[in-house]
Amino acid sequence: MASGSTLRIAWRNLWRNSRRTGLAVAAIGLSVALVLAYYAVLRGYADWILETLTGPMLGHVQIHAPEWRKDRAMDRTILDVSSILDGLRSDPEVASATARIYAPALAALAEEGFAVVVLGVDWEAEAQPNRLLSGAKAPRGPGRALMGRALAEMMGVKEGDEIALVGQGADGSLANELVGVEGLVRTPVDFVNRQGIILEIGEAQTLFAMPDEAHEVMVFARDPGGAKLLASRLEALPNLAGAEVLDWQSIAPEMLSLIEIIDVAGVFALVLIFVAATAGVANTMLMATFERTHELGMLLSLGASPGRIVRMILAESVALGLTGATLGGALGVLFVALTHERGLDWAALTGGGPTEISFAGLNWSLRFYPTLAPWDVGRTVLAVLLTSLIASAWPAFRAARLEPARALRD
Amino acid sequence: MKDRTPMNGDRLIGAMALGASVVVFSASVESFQKPPDVEAVLDHLDDLYRSDSSVSRMEIRVEGRRGTRTLRMKAWTRGEEEVLVVIEEPPREAGTATLRVGDNLWNYLPRIARTIRVPPAMMLGSWMGTDFTNDDLVKESSLRKDFVSRVERRSDDPKGWWLTLDVKPDVVGRWAKIEILISDDWLPIEERHFDRKGRLARTLRFDEVKTLGGRRLPVRMVLTPTDVEGQSTELRYLEIEFDVPIADDTFSLSRLERTP
Repeated sequence: MASGSTLRIAWRNLWRNSRRTGLAVAAIGLSVALVLAYYAVLRGYADWILETLTGPMLGHVQIHAPEWRKDRAMDRTILDVSSILDGLRSDPEVASATARIYAPALAALAEEGFAVVVLGVDWEAEAQPNRLLSGAKAPRGPGRALMGRALAEMMGVKEGDEIALVGQGADGSLANELVGVEGLVRTPVDFVNRQGIILEIGEAQTLFAMPDEAHEVMVFARDPGGAKLLASRLEALPNLAGAEVLDWQSIAPEMLSLIEIIDVAGVFALVLIFVAATAGVANTMLMATFERTHELGMLLSLGASPGRIVRMILAESVALGLTGATLGGALGVLFVALTHERGLDWAALTGGGPTEISFAGLNWSLRFYPTLAPWDVGRTVLAVLLTSLIASAWPAFRAARLEPARALRD
Repeated sequence: MKDRTPMNGDRLIGAMALGASVVVFSASVESFQKPPDVEAVLDHLDDLYRSDSSVSRMEIRVEGRRGTRTLRMKAWTRGEEEVLVVIEEPPREAGTATLRVGDNLWNYLPRIARTIRVPPAMMLGSWMGTDFTNDDLVKESSLRKDFVSRVERRSDDPKGWWLTLDVKPDVVGRWAKIEILISDDWLPIEERHFDRKGRLARTLRFDEVKTLGGRRLPVRMVLTPTDVEGQSTELRYLEIEFDVPIADDTFSLSRLERTP
């Protein structure tokens, strides 16, 4: 590689025409910064999809009794749920695990019955950030329920009202109970808002005659990207034998393709960076070698080896590319640092409009949080570096092939 | 959407006029050789477990993946529109009652002392945890109204006739087609219900023909849904009295909440 002196000379050469080099650095830096900002937004967008989808509703891995997803029959339950949960929670790759019950039922404030779904949930787990009941106050005491706001409006239920629930136990018996509505909730999950009555899971188990049983266990992985691997590993656990273990990607494949599109967009951005850097570096280096033909001829005739000339020119162009990439990288990281905490509000960016959209049965907040992985910065800088080398190949080759005598005459 | 299930619901809680059996008998003799008059058969089936009024006791066994549940019930009917069913056993569910008046269905839950009207959206839901739906209880005798019926073919074993009922084009309902096998003496043997996609959804079999309440009828019926493995509901009439006087207020909400 180039020696220290080559690098020093290359750096000095670079700034002999400071305006031209400055422009090239600015062009490369700006495109790197823009590409990183683009990455950050895309990544924020993908995270936003993933979190909205998995957080309140799917989890990263779901466990059910076989066939439950098909007919949602009350008696297709997972048995010994507490020991299963204990086992899952002690797994190093599992961030959290929680169980749910979904029981179709009839609810009535007075005589009129309404079709509802009684959800049995673990208050504490569901009240965590980006979960079903984030921010909701858990009811105190037994016989207390939360209720979807839209359902409450339809039924004319107010906080503090007592409603009757009638359903069927997992054993086929009649389940009926009076519960006090302690709070009305608006969750990110549409059907819960429209049909959900939410009970503490223990109470739901008693009401529906399913002690230590549940319809669903949701698992959150420490690494959401490893959900598929985690699912196949959990499936092999002895106490989950016979259960259906699915990662969120298998449950919502259409959402997965939404995220995969983002990766493709990322590759396009990388191509963009190649083009911008190639143009900037190639132009600058061509100009620099053309105008220095005389000087290069002198160096050659003084005994500099063609290899040394090549190294010098390559070093110049890499220095140019890296300077641009460093400045651009700094700008890009600054953008993320400024926006990551507060997030970007799509509604504000597009000049008003809704702050939330409803899609796929979920309510999607239009605020998302730009974020970058180290690899995003790394591969962008690497792309600039490679491009700089490639773009300078021709000028370097041309310089090395100069005939000293002719070059000196020019 | 209003679904109709033409046969079993009415007969499930039906009653029969003593005098009707005479008519039945003469009709069956007449129908021995040539195909029966479909309208007359359907009339007869509609009336078989029903009369002007009835009081019956029945046992329902629900076979499921988690084993068998047995319920005992008492039922009162009057005309085609009024039904009251009260669970007597098991003790945990005793006193739970269902009242039907016209198209409306209410459940009374003694444990929480509440009466709740079943909404249209729940009509296809299970009735008291059985394979019968709420809709089976509510639907009127709509066979002749909603279906075009014909005699399909002769059945040799068991001897009788297959009837085919096709739903009329403008009727919104659960079944697209119903096939009924009746014996030569016009008692139901089997009913097959086909859903809107033409798939066999459930089969209702009738057997154990006995004289109950002075009328010869199959006292046992078994409902088997096609798509649920190991699931079936058996209903057996233990006693029926036809055309007994029933107090006027039996089919009222206030009476419902005072179920014995």
